[in-house]
Amino acid sequence: MSASPLVPFPARLEASEPLSERERLFRLALPAPMSHRPGQFVMVSFPGVGEAPISIACAPRDDARLELTIRRVGSVTQALHALEPGRDLGLRGPYGNGIDTALLAGQDLVLVAGGLGLAPMRSLIQALLARREAFGRLILLAGFRTPAEALFRTEYPDWTAAGMEVHALVNRTEHQPWEGQEGLVTEPIPHLGLDPGRTLAVLVGPPVMYKFVVLELAACGLSSEHIFVDLERRMKCGIGKCGHCQIEDLYCCRQGPVFRLSDLETRREALA
Amino acid sequence: MDAFLASKRQFLDWLRHTAADTETFFPQPLGEASFQFARVRPDSPLRLEDWDSGTPREAFRASANPVPPGKLLSPPGETLFRFRRDPDGRLEFFPVLDDAPRIIAGIRPCDLHAIHLLDGIQSAGVPDPHYLSRRGHTTLIAHDCLQPCDEHCFCDAVGALRQRQGADLFLTPMEDGLLVEVLSEKGAALVEGAGFSPCGDREARLAWAEGQRARPFGRPLPASPEAIAGILAGSGASPVWREHSERCFSCGTCNLVCPTCYCFDVSDDIDLAAPAEGRRCRTWDGCMLPDFAQVAGGHDFRPGTAARQHHRVARKFQYLPRQMATGSHCVGCGRCGHQCTVDIDIYDIVKDLVERAGP
Repeated sequence: MSASPLVPFPARLEASEPLSERERLFRLALPAPMSHRPGQFVMVSFPGVGEAPISIACAPRDDARLELTIRRVGSVTQALHALEPGRDLGLRGPYGNGIDTALLAGQDLVLVAGGLGLAPMRSLIQALLARREAFGRLILLAGFRTPAEALFRTEYPDWTAAGMEVHALVNRTEHQPWEGQEGLVTEPIPHLGLDPGRTLAVLVGPPVMYKFVVLELAACGLSSEHIFVDLERRMKCGIGKCGHCQIEDLYCCRQGPVFRLSDLETRREALA
Repeated sequence: MDAFLASKRQFLDWLRHTAADTETFFPQPLGEASFQFARVRPDSPLRLEDWDSGTPREAFRASANPVPPGKLLSPPGETLFRFRRDPDGRLEFFPVLDDAPRIIAGIRPCDLHAIHLLDGIQSAGVPDPHYLSRRGHTTLIAHDCLQPCDEHCFCDAVGALRQRQGADLFLTPMEDGLLVEVLSEKGAALVEGAGFSPCGDREARLAWAEGQRARPFGRPLPASPEAIAGILAGSGASPVWREHSERCFSCGTCNLVCPTCYCFDVSDDIDLAAPAEGRRCRTWDGCMLPDFAQVAGGHDFRPGTAARQHHRVARKFQYLPRQMATGSHCVGCGRCGHQCTVDIDIYDIVKDLVERAGP
């Protein structure tokens, strides 16, 4: 370990494959296994260009491998997309609270992912399916704008086979082949037959998604204590020092990025 | 711990002498009207003249020092680490920690209080070794204020005037010079051999100084910092935020001059002569700047000057005090109000909030 938590360690890019026009899946080899929780993130460096917070897209594993889904959206991610396999990038973390799967045991779980939100959700999905018997119903609602933007499409049949009810939706098919449904991610919720007494929901997506999904879940009787949301913020350190990710008195990088909705209701900045 | 007496001349000569061995900072003139904490050189113009009246003016004036001394502990552009990429793409990282000994003298209680609060923040949770290394190798010489430094001061109203903790030496202006109190082992080592006279009547001298202190001291606030925190917690919908930010043009000066602002951004520098090598630097950032809470892709999680103003004030009076279990993180130095080009003053904002909240 380095003398400073702000100094990365080298991680080797083993392979990177396109998931959509803007997203690639990065398979990394680490110097040592990283123990993380679903929902945690790492700070990824392309030295010379900069550093960006990236969610971990795989379940905790003991083979010193890590998977990240990176959207090309700024200078750092653009440089990372151009990195050739076999070369190093910089990594530090994991950071944030993540989600404790022990809290979910025995419950029916509704996982709602919008767009790139399916990347961190995949970490949770893999962790839940690895211990499928520990949970009740597992329901995934994954929404995208178009089939071309649908992430991890080839894995849905595996998730279904492993005991998850998978609802993949696109806003519009744009005449592309699509094996899922057409519509908004909120639309299936009233028809899921949720039992509010034993259901928890986990939401990962763009800010605009939360408001509407929460309304539908509330209509099914879920209270805000039973809904977890994964928030995105600007981050420069991951250790509660740089100030960028502050949501009023909370640091998204330390107390989050996964929050119980009930903890955010009095904080006007949280879901703005 | 010991106490000594020194004439002002004796103290300044000693400081110059000490500066020959150890990098030393002291407020020095910057142009006609301003002062800055600058490195003491053999020919540096060090002045303490207005201490004759018991009032540490000139060099020790807060508003005349736009950049607080604590910023020396997080210098802009500090290197966090160096990196090197070999032709095969292997990366190596080399942490950089600053362990050079330094002395900062001329620190007023508000600024000392700010450094004390920063020490807490940088030690808490995941400690920041870059700050802590520099801080651990720095000796602080602070001094008491018997008069408010200018009309912007409100340090007493936020509990910063009595700060001593964190200082290694603490000076109090006397009729016949300076009382030099040793507050740490580091301070004791520094004054050893200085030739100051031992002081046998410290308590009487402190009592005399207390008698000289202005009352009230600086601008009063109509509520305690604790009460202000409570009022802030329910102020989200207050029109105060809009009213006090309409003329703000998001320049970030208030952040820049605040002794307890420590937010940062990072950037990478590449060595143009050796493009496979470079360094990551930390630079000051400010929550009043428009892109502070903006993520890649463009979404701004705190849009508008009113929301940013609310965040700045709440962070000082509500969020950080709650997180760190301390008093106010606004130390009442008055710099942000004094330096603001459109006269937005955190004091006015807080006073307005309290008065509108009613009894």
